[in-house]
Order: sequence, then structure tokens, then C-alpha cells
Amino acid sequence: MSTELETEADVERRRGGRMVSGARTRRAASSSRLFLYKTWEAFRIALGSLRASKLRTGLTLVGVVVGVAAVIAVVTIIKGLDKTVASTFSSQGSTVFTVSKRPQVITSREDFIRFNRRRDVTEEDAAAITRLCTACWRTGIAANAAATIKHGDQSAQNVRVRGLTLSMFAIEDTDVVAGRPWIEAEESSARNVAVVGADVIDNLFGGALPEQVIGQQLRIEGGTYEIIGVAERLGKIFGFSRDNFVQIPFPTFKKNFNARESLIVFVQVPDDNGMVAAQDTARSIMRNRRGKTFDEEDDGFALETQDVFIDLYKSATANIYIVTIGVAAVSLVVGGIVVMNIMLVSVTERTKEIGVRKAVGASRKDVLLQFLIEAVVLTGIGGALGVVFGFALAFALSLAMNFPLLFSAGSAVLGVTVSSAVGIASGLWPAWKAASLDPIEALRAE
Amino acid sequence: MSDATMATPPSVVEAGALEHGDLLAHDAVPAALISMRDIWKTYQMGSEELHALRGVSFDVQRGEYMAIIGPSGSGKSTLMNLIGCLDTPSQGRYWINGKLVSAMDDDELARIRNKEIGFVFQTFNLLARATALHNVELPLIYAGISSADRHERARQSLASVELTDRMTHRPNELSGGQRQRVAIARALVNHPSLLLADEPTGALDSHTSVEIMNLFEKLHSDGNTIIVVTHEPDIAARAHRVISIRDGQIERDERIK
Repeated sequence: MSTELETEADVERRRGGRMVSGARTRRAASSSRLFLYKTWEAFRIALGSLRASKLRTGLTLVGVVVGVAAVIAVVTIIKGLDKTVASTFSSQGSTVFTVSKRPQVITSREDFIRFNRRRDVTEEDAAAITRLCTACWRTGIAANAAATIKHGDQSAQNVRVRGLTLSMFAIEDTDVVAGRPWIEAEESSARNVAVVGADVIDNLFGGALPEQVIGQQLRIEGGTYEIIGVAERLGKIFGFSRDNFVQIPFPTFKKNFNARESLIVFVQVPDDNGMVAAQDTARSIMRNRRGKTFDEEDDGFALETQDVFIDLYKSATANIYIVTIGVAAVSLVVGGIVVMNIMLVSVTERTKEIGVRKAVGASRKDVLLQFLIEAVVLTGIGGALGVVFGFALAFALSLAMNFPLLFSAGSAVLGVTVSSAVGIASGLWPAWKAASLDPIEALRAE
Repeated sequence: MSDATMATPPSVVEAGALEHGDLLAHDAVPAALISMRDIWKTYQMGSEELHALRGVSFDVQRGEYMAIIGPSGSGKSTLMNLIGCLDTPSQGRYWINGKLVSAMDDDELARIRNKEIGFVFQTFNLLARATALHNVELPLIYAGISSADRHERARQSLASVELTDRMTHRPNELSGGQRQRVAIARALVNHPSLLLADEPTGALDSHTSVEIMNLFEKLHSDGNTIIVVTHEPDIAARAHRVISIRDGQIERDERIK
């Protein structure tokens, strides 16, 4: 912009009509300062004309608000879930891996059938890993069943019964808050003792204190067990309780349950630097036991860490992100078209005003800037409202679903920025039309 | 370059002079405030050429009070648009205050309108939603005047047309005469070289018309250069010089005072 701020000398020169050459005291304002000044004026004009038609402004904003609110709500909710998931799965840390017949996540029927044809993982496999894997630190065995458990006339169905070796308490870092874990003698003699989760107390003992259930009897599939310990409450994740279990010694499980199901072998290494080496050793031990040659791709067993859950979660949320961004993009495009339409109407309605402004000295740039800023202010307000609504929605959902909320300033800034960019894109053509109006024609308009 | 240059007829000398603008024309810069030399304005109506102006030349000195009179279709509106730098001639040269505006582009013309010319229109052309004060401030916004200076100058300008007590009123709260005085305050606020009025009393009753014409006389005696475009002989009679336009040419140019 080549314009300069005007001084009294300029005015004098014009009125007096004498050119005082050399003695002109023009103060050349920096072009950026003038641009800021004109932007600020255009901003004030834009606010004024948006205020003048509140209903239209509001209706125009709906599309932009919906788009931005959707993104903000989903980003906020997923960040909250991320935190929950991260804290849940980090409890076992990255020092534990499992060897099992089937992977924990199976995505197709074909895979399910294929995995079922594999040989079961047995106690002998676990013993071989314990014996041969020098990089491994602790090994444990877990076998799972679902059963109905009873106490007196109370019963609970579909409780997870786990037969564990004693080492599993250390590997899973199970915190026994009342009573005690079983001892080796109880395990080796396959005694009917149990460590229960908090849900069992809630469901069978009417919410008694953990200390009060120690020594009480439980009936599981016809056998009678003595409760010797209660595990710390872990809470829910995605609505599923992690406290609905009974843990019994593995030999007891083998004796009382139809233990033909494959086992899961848990392996722990001293620190996560040793993970890769330990996994490689365990894998070659197991492949050897399965008679697998180098060129055979399938292991014949699954060797996994807790990362599979985190990976599954990440791929699920990635899809949610993509869908939401799609929804937001569509509503922002629709919002942009609505804004463009309204701006075109506004330019037509205000043709005379544009003519007057041009007559008193508005340049093409001035008019362009005015209408462009009007569109950007419009969508910027829409973006800000969208951020507010999005946070409110996420807040309501987090209350309903009980997970922590992470408000991110970044997503708020992004929401306003993207919607303002929509404003520029949709305001450009109407603003250009306004700027290109012939002042004589525009002044003639009604 | 500018529209004016592109529309120039293929006269080699003229086109060259126009293209090099002020540089070549430097020696010829006239001393008069307004200087028009052989101005043509041609419109293309289908296959026919319509000459709204055919070789108009005249000078206006600083401090003159001039009327341009002529029947409708005479080309006086076209002439007014050219004088007001709302349009550029098809051919010919036009200087205002020593600047060759016939060769300027849109944005340069906007600057000239802002600094050199104050418009007064028949239908006032005030912004309906803005107060009198804001309407008067409008030219100063595009001149880049800071908001405090702007308020002060707009206030002074409104005071000079005796509307100090109506500054916060919107146009629909003002009478026709008051609206025209707001428009005059707006025209004067940036201290233009020329006050250009297009049928300034056309929308007013006879009593208010007299009031506005008296105001023009006062502004003239304050040193302003005024051109009034009108078709009413008694309005033109208030001026000191009358140019009559007919069929796109100057029919008469007479001093009456």
C-alpha cells in the first residue's frame, strides 16, 4: 500500500494551492501500520454490520458451529480416554510378555479357525521357557474359566476364575489389601483357597469391608473355597469392570476345572531393555518345541505384550478421528457455502454503501478488506462458539461416562483458525465482487 | 496499465503523452485547479458508438464558484463523473491540482477522490446505519487519520454546518436539509480542493433549498472552490460562472458575477 498518512502540510498545500517543494513535511507511515489501522477499521465496520442483522448472522453460523463443535468434542473425549487407557495398561509396564495359543485380538473368522488348530500351550512349554530362557526373569502360568459363584443364597454369574501360579502376583503386581496371597505349600497341595476381586464382595457379601470376608466360604462349580485375600479395587474401563474375578492356585484349578483349555504363559524381564532379547529367546524355544523350521512363517503360538491393546485402541480411535474430521469437513464446507451466499446477498444489498465508500475514497483494497474481514469475523465467531459447545459436549459426556477430561488449548486454536480460513475462502469471491463494483453504477443502486 | 490508457484512441502523440503520464506532460502542467483538454467520452452501445462528450476543454481557477447546466442527456452527468474522478475519459487530458488524473488507475483515482474532491449528492448518500458523526468521519478513515483526530475534525466539520447538536443522530432521524448539511460536512472534512455538488437541492423543498444555497455561498466566501451540476436555472444563477452543456459540447461559458 503506497498511501501515506496525511499531514497538515498536505492539506495546506491543497487549499493554498502552492507547491512548497522541498519543504514538505510528509510523515511516511510504515505500510504495516496503515494496514493494521485499516484492518482495525474494517473489523469495526464488520462487527457493526453483523450486529445489524443478528438473526441472519446466527443462522449463517450454524454450519460452522456444528463442524467445529464436533471436532472439539471428539478430540477432547479421545484425549481423556487416551489418558485412562495409558494409565490402565502401563500398570503392567513394558517388562511383561505372554505366550499363548491365540492372540488376544482376533479380527477374522478365518484367523480364529486357524489359531484354534494350533497346539495348546502347556505346563511343559512354561517349564521349558523357565529352564532355557536365561534372559527371562519370572515366568507364571494363567488358566481362565468363567463360572457361577455362590455364598449362602447369593450368587454371581459369569465370574472370571483364574488359576495362577504364585509368581503371577509378582508379575501382575497384584496388591492384596486384606488377608494374604496363598503360600507355596497351599499351591503345591492344591488347597481350595481364593483371592477375590472387589466385585465379588459387592455382589455376594452386600458390600462388606474386605477384612470381614476373610475366612468366609465360596462355592464355585460345586467346590467350596476359603477366601484368604482381597485384591485392590481396579475400577472400570470402557464400562467393563476389572474387579469381577476369583484367583485360585493353578494346581487347584487343574484339579477342579475341566482344564483342557490352553494356558497363557506370562514372562517378565528385569527391565525393558531386555525385552527384545527375552522375546527372541522365548520365541526360538517355543518354535523349537513346535518343530518349526526357519522358512515356516507361522510361529504356531502368539507372543504378545500389552501393546496389542494399545494398538487396537489406537486404530479404533484413529477411525473415530477420521469419521469426525469427515463430518466436520462436510459441515464446514456447507457452512462455507452458506457464508458465501450470505456475503453475496450482503454485497448486493449494500451496493449503494459500497458506492458511497468508493466515492469518498475507499480503494479496491479497502472494500475487499472490509468484506473479507466481515466473512472472517463471522466464521471466527462461529469457530469460537463451536469450541465452547464442543467443550460443553465433551464435559457432559465425561460426566456421563466417568472418565477424566483433557481440555486442549491447541484444539481450540485449531478450531478457530480452520473456521477463519473457511471465512477467507468463502468471503474472497463476494469481497472481490464488491471491490470491483463501478462507483457510478453502485451509487445509482437503490 | 490504466483503463484510460487502454481506451485511448490510436493517436500516436496523445497515447505516448498519456502513457508517460506526468513525466512528459511536466512542462504543460497547468496552474489552474482543474484543467480539461479535449475530453471525449465514448460508450459502445452494441455496434454503435455513443459520444457523451465531444472535445470538452475548460479551466477552473481556485476559489471559483461555477455551475454546469444542461438538459438531461446533454452529457453533464458524464462530465460530473469525470470531474469527480469516478470515471476516466476515453480521450483527452484532465489535471486536478497539477495531477494528470486521466491516466490514473482505480486505486489512484480513489486517492484523488479522497483528498481532492468532496461530493454532495442529490439523494445525500449517507450510510443509513451510521450516526452523523460517523458519516462525516468516513473520508478520514480512508485517509488513514487516527481515530482521535478523526473525531475532532468531524466534530469541527459538523459545527461548521451548525449540526453540533445532531452528531449522534442517524440519517432517518434528520430532516432533508439536515441530511444534506451532514453530507456537506462529510464533503468538507478532508479539506478537499474542490466541492462537487450534483443537483444538491433536487430532493429538498424550496425553503430548504435556499438555506443550502446560502451555505454554499458562505463556503465559497471561505475560499472553497465549488462546482454545482444542475438543470435548474435559478440554482445555477447563484454561481459566478455558468457552463452550459448541450450534445456533449460546451455551448456557452459565461461569467455572471
